[in-house]
Amino acid sequence: MSKMLEIENLKARIAGNEILTGLNLVVSTGEVHAIMGPNGSGKSTLAQVIAGHADYDVTEGSVKFDGNDLLELEPEERAREGIFLGFQYPVEIPGVNNAYLLKAAVNAKRKHVGMDEIDAFEFLKLAREKMALLDMDQSFLNRGVNEGFSGGEKKRNEILQMAMLEPKLAILDETDSGLDIDALKAVANGVNALRHADRAIVLVTHYQRLLDYIEPDFVHVLSKGQIVRSGDKSLALELEEKGYEWVREVANA
Amino acid sequence: MTTQVIDKSLLDAAVKAMPDDRLAGLRREAADRFVSLGFPGTDHEDWKYTNLSDIEALSVAWLKGNPNLQPVSSVTDITDEVRSAIDAHWLLVRDGVADDMLPDIDGIEIERLVDADCSALSADDALSAFNVALLQDGLRIRVEPDAAPDRPLAILNIDSARQRVVQSRLVVELAAGARLELIECALSNGSGSQFTNSVVDVDLENAACLTHTRVQDRHPDHSGIYRLQASLARDANIRHSSFDFGGALSRNDVVTDIKGTGAAVGLNGLYLAGGEQHIDNHTSIIHGVGPATSDEEYRGILTGRAQCVFNGKVIVAEGADGTNSRQSNHNLLLSDRAEIDTKPELEIYADDVKCAHGATVGQLDHAALFYLQSRGLDRDQAKQILTRAFAAGMLSSLSVPACEDFVSARLDRRLAELVDDVDD
Repeated sequence: MSKMLEIENLKARIAGNEILTGLNLVVSTGEVHAIMGPNGSGKSTLAQVIAGHADYDVTEGSVKFDGNDLLELEPEERAREGIFLGFQYPVEIPGVNNAYLLKAAVNAKRKHVGMDEIDAFEFLKLAREKMALLDMDQSFLNRGVNEGFSGGEKKRNEILQMAMLEPKLAILDETDSGLDIDALKAVANGVNALRHADRAIVLVTHYQRLLDYIEPDFVHVLSKGQIVRSGDKSLALELEEKGYEWVREVANA
Repeated sequence: MTTQVIDKSLLDAAVKAMPDDRLAGLRREAADRFVSLGFPGTDHEDWKYTNLSDIEALSVAWLKGNPNLQPVSSVTDITDEVRSAIDAHWLLVRDGVADDMLPDIDGIEIERLVDADCSALSADDALSAFNVALLQDGLRIRVEPDAAPDRPLAILNIDSARQRVVQSRLVVELAAGARLELIECALSNGSGSQFTNSVVDVDLENAACLTHTRVQDRHPDHSGIYRLQASLARDANIRHSSFDFGGALSRNDVVTDIKGTGAAVGLNGLYLAGGEQHIDNHTSIIHGVGPATSDEEYRGILTGRAQCVFNGKVIVAEGADGTNSRQSNHNLLLSDRAEIDTKPELEIYADDVKCAHGATVGQLDHAALFYLQSRGLDRDQAKQILTRAFAAGMLSSLSVPACEDFVSARLDRRLAELVDDVDD
């Protein structure tokens, strides 16, 4: 196991408000981390900052990915290096075909590592395989990206993109929110299929429920922009039992 | 600088120099009418944003130079390229004059205006009067009752764009129950200033159906005014799709007059403008009777210092109950120096009417840009994809499959140029 993501004293703000206030986190290959915390604690900000959203200003600290400074890379460079962000609110893009985006994304990555573009046959075969895993109908390939998708369909689509891109580090932001039990299982299936000794997964979630299906190695509790508690999966259960009020007390103590 | 106007002696001299053919009488009448009207100025509400002074100056200079009215545009690679791209019966019109080869199509009568009975050429507004005054020739296309040609009829209007003025005229008549897919391509074959003034008269008898697609992709110094006026009888249907990619100043006036119940008007337009381009779409849908429907959507993509205008007039006459009309205009501004003036104009004099309209002006969605970047697509590629997606909404309105690939290829070429021109 080697260190993949190293975050040190990260401070970030949006529109003048400091959201991350000195966050430290190390994620190594093969690990699954869950980051939990109440609304507004900075979970999504962390995910967005790692992916490179321009609206967030990093004011202090560092983020390294495979030993290199991540913060100086454009979002697309981060993606090609192997970081995948599963969006809490996947964007609807009418007029852009789902298959087109998947293919463009796969090819952007292949080009980055010096491979030829994927051929149409190979692409379709791969896409069908991954869609079966997620229990997705193939008609989704020909629809506009997330256009008119239900909440559950959007999240499955995120996991489909992840499965196609096979990232080194997947950050899944509230992937479980708004899912019924079937969709949750399908999404968990997709994530578990990606678990690998060379990869790492960070689950950002508000509820413990997802962790029944994707078992984390580590659980962190975020409050006011910092990690205030870390532990194994039992911490998630403790949190579920005691509620986030308990975290606030711990944080203020 | 003194304003250059076309005066009576200048126009009369030009009209006199034209052949004494069947159009001669119409020309003289139209010249008188034009002289009394003159080119509309920006003080005219319909021309507030579109200044014709350059076009008028070009016209004056051209008239003063003892104009050669013979077509100079030659058949070139462009002609062949376009003709092979669209599977259709082709008609070539060079500098407003039809080529010798008129296709022979079952159910369609095609003749030159100089050989036809042209008492019906409208010359009410100034530009139509200017058109008739200097018209050398034009085409009349008549589709027989219930006839439906096997392939679309396509007209390639190719102008020389060498410091000249061209009048082009087309009369399209569909008899009862007739169907026609008509494609017009407007291109340039030169690189000088040119003004092309085109008028198309469309008459649709009962239950006739016209699908009309126009693609304008002219040289950046080539300006054009295009007027399509259609009259619809009972259950007639017109679907007009217009694509403006090139040109300097382009003004399109589309007037549809619903005279019979059950008629349907569909207007779609896509305009792409960069640099100093000016594209003005004025549409007017007259619901004279009801029930009848009209459905209209125009979209624009603007970069650089482009200026575009959309003015959508819908008139529902007294008693035209059961009118159902929808109109929208959406614009993507990729530069903060580009300008769009969009205006719906609804005049409703009937009671039982549904009329909806909406206009939007916006930039590329930043959330969507980031989403695409987060999937590994670089920013320029992401912009191009989103811009293409915006335009694609109008491509899908194309109801003539034969020209889909052609329009799509021209669109992509123009988009690639425009996206390069985008502010960050």
